[in-house]
Amino acid sequence: MIGNLPFVVCMILVALGLWTLVAKRNLIKLVIGVGLIQNGVNLFLVALGYVRGGIPPIYTLAPAGAPMVLPTPQALTLTSIVIGVATTALMLAFAVVIYRHKGTLDARKVRELRG
Amino acid sequence: MRPEESIQLITGQGYWTPLLWMAAALGTLLLAFLFWSRGRRGYKRGTEQDLPFVSGEKVENPRLAATHLYWGFAEALRPVLRRLGAWHSGVVNDYAAWFVVILAVIFLLIMV
Amino acid sequence: MGTHAPILAIAVPLLGGFATPLVARISRVLRDFWVFAIALFVAVCVGFVAAQVFAHGVTVYVLGGRTPQETLAPGAFPIRIMLTVDGMSAFMGLIAGLLALVAFPFALRFIPEEEGKTLSFTLSLLLLAGIVGLAYTGDLFNFFVFLEVTSIAACGLIGFRTWTSRAPEAAFKTMLLYALSGLFFLMAVAFLYGEYGALNLAFLSRQLRGSALDRVALALFLSGLLLKVAAAPLHFWAPDAYGEAPAAKTLLLVVNTQVSLYGLWRILFTLYGGVLDAGVGWLVVAMGLLTMVVAAVMAVGQQDLGRLVAYGAVSQIGYMMLGVGVGLVTLAGRPDYALVALKGGVFHMLNDALTVGLLFLCVGAVEWVRGTRDLGELGGLGHGLPEVALFFLLASLALAGIPPLNGFASKILIYHGSFQLSPILTAVAVLASILLLAVFARAFQGVFLGPRVEVKPELPWSFLIPMIVSAVGIVVLGLVPGFFLEQVVTPAAEALWRGRHLYLAAVLGG
Repeated sequence: MIGNLPFVVCMILVALGLWTLVAKRNLIKLVIGVGLIQNGVNLFLVALGYVRGGIPPIYTLAPAGAPMVLPTPQALTLTSIVIGVATTALMLAFAVVIYRHKGTLDARKVRELRG
Repeated sequence: MRPEESIQLITGQGYWTPLLWMAAALGTLLLAFLFWSRGRRGYKRGTEQDLPFVSGEKVENPRLAATHLYWGFAEALRPVLRRLGAWHSGVVNDYAAWFVVILAVIFLLIMV
Repeated sequence: MGTHAPILAIAVPLLGGFATPLVARISRVLRDFWVFAIALFVAVCVGFVAAQVFAHGVTVYVLGGRTPQETLAPGAFPIRIMLTVDGMSAFMGLIAGLLALVAFPFALRFIPEEEGKTLSFTLSLLLLAGIVGLAYTGDLFNFFVFLEVTSIAACGLIGFRTWTSRAPEAAFKTMLLYALSGLFFLMAVAFLYGEYGALNLAFLSRQLRGSALDRVALALFLSGLLLKVAAAPLHFWAPDAYGEAPAAKTLLLVVNTQVSLYGLWRILFTLYGGVLDAGVGWLVVAMGLLTMVVAAVMAVGQQDLGRLVAYGAVSQIGYMMLGVGVGLVTLAGRPDYALVALKGGVFHMLNDALTVGLLFLCVGAVEWVRGTRDLGELGGLGHGLPEVALFFLLASLALAGIPPLNGFASKILIYHGSFQLSPILTAVAVLASILLLAVFARAFQGVFLGPRVEVKPELPWSFLIPMIVSAVGIVVLGLVPGFFLEQVVTPAAEALWRGRHLYLAAVLGG
């Protein structure tokens, strides 16, 4: 049961991110909420790769016969982090432009497109 | 495939070909032409006769924008439109909340 | 070239898109030719791939080790990424290629130079590469990467007009929701990877047992993809996005949504095909009905022509979900009527792409001529723009499903198929169609009929040619539906309906 703790923490992170998206009004806080969900999913991916007693998956100077932690989730996580950077950058750029137009970052006031 | 098959659509309960529609359309057009040919001859384009009818009033530059058309239709749907429009609030938090709701519904459906 | 067509259709627009600013430095005319040449090349490649797949069955293109035995060390895991193109993937590629051919020539004159035309082409080519990648990939993580590529490119296009206040707002909201959908999709992939240690769709499909973790992953897949697909009540971003993007680029956004819908079918039919129960099908059907009705009703009250057409486009997604959902509900017994509905749903993807594409092109032409899309100010344009009026009328009738146009062909299949499952489904679908007809009749009458209004700029011929191509497609698909149904739609529908074992056999070798 204690071994599942990393996964539980990841799900808590995702839940916190979702709560931020629903409850917070500032656009920057919404971007941070998406960032929380990204962190939760990335952590989940990395935690998946753990092998009990495993060493980092590097062949150089590796002790013989030791089990290695799975490297594929680490590659997947790197890709996901990069995609997260692009997504965050784009959202923040649009938040800046919205601020320049509207003078506010309140999601309740940025409502020109409704109905 | 044979030409007559390529214009057919066979559904489980019948089939459709555009030829049937063409025949019906031709008949309807003939009927419409018949009615039109028995109309009055005194209609002149570009005069007062083809201006939009705005309830019998004389309006300068009469032009009915789309917002005035189908008024009764929109009016009948007004309560529904108002309620639905309130949900399309434009606030991102509400949209994310709908996502969480659907996430919960789907989880309930799939796991239970 | 024929064997490498799948990867070329993805790689060429990707690299070409990034090369476009460099080409633009040399000459602007060269850039226009370059962009059109890439779109044409993509269309030719997807045509090749489709011809090959329809003739020979599932085509597998492997990047990396050709057979599972080609590994770096003996007994290790083969390093390869596969593009698995079956009938449905080839069909989606065809739709993408066709709409690229229609959208890019229109965009060549639609976006003015000073508004960043070069960069809009880069984003569009990136979006096109992502869309074809989504259609062709046979690997779940690859699907996620292309999903995010299309999300980012699409949001860049939505928020393109940063000098307005509406476009960045639409882009922010859409990017937020797209990122959310991609992350939940990734979480589902992570669950499956953690359980089975593989990312290849076919391999996972064979291993799936329907355990609790598998079902959690299914729920995450569903929620992520249903958000991306604009199923009600997760559709709120779609009218903003379709309305604020430049009209030529909205066509690519519509194809983006449709190919995400294809991703949903791939997950449900191929990945979970062995362990799915009818509840998921009923969910899809219910959300499809809700989408149809909500979008049609919201369209009644719209003041902006672009948003009105956008709600029409969202409503049509409901029809595709209804048609294929009927197939999902009855997947266990596979009755014949469900195949009819499935074919209708798949056919409707092609028809809707053309119809909604033509509608958005007309909206773009009106906006280009009059500078506004407000229904309160437009009127009497039919005298100055007779072609646009005719095309708008044609596309509206096709959207509403009036015979003998293409919308009717796919809708009659959906109606007949879903009627056998439950008459209520058909009743709601027909009512939504009629409602949309009323909405578009009002739009047509308000914008194009009425006393003459002077229009100054002449429409360039590069606007009219894509419209003519789309209109010809609409009419031909309506007049000769049986041909296209047999040649193009049936392989796609059968690939979903009964083709799962063929898909697995082609990738995993029997």
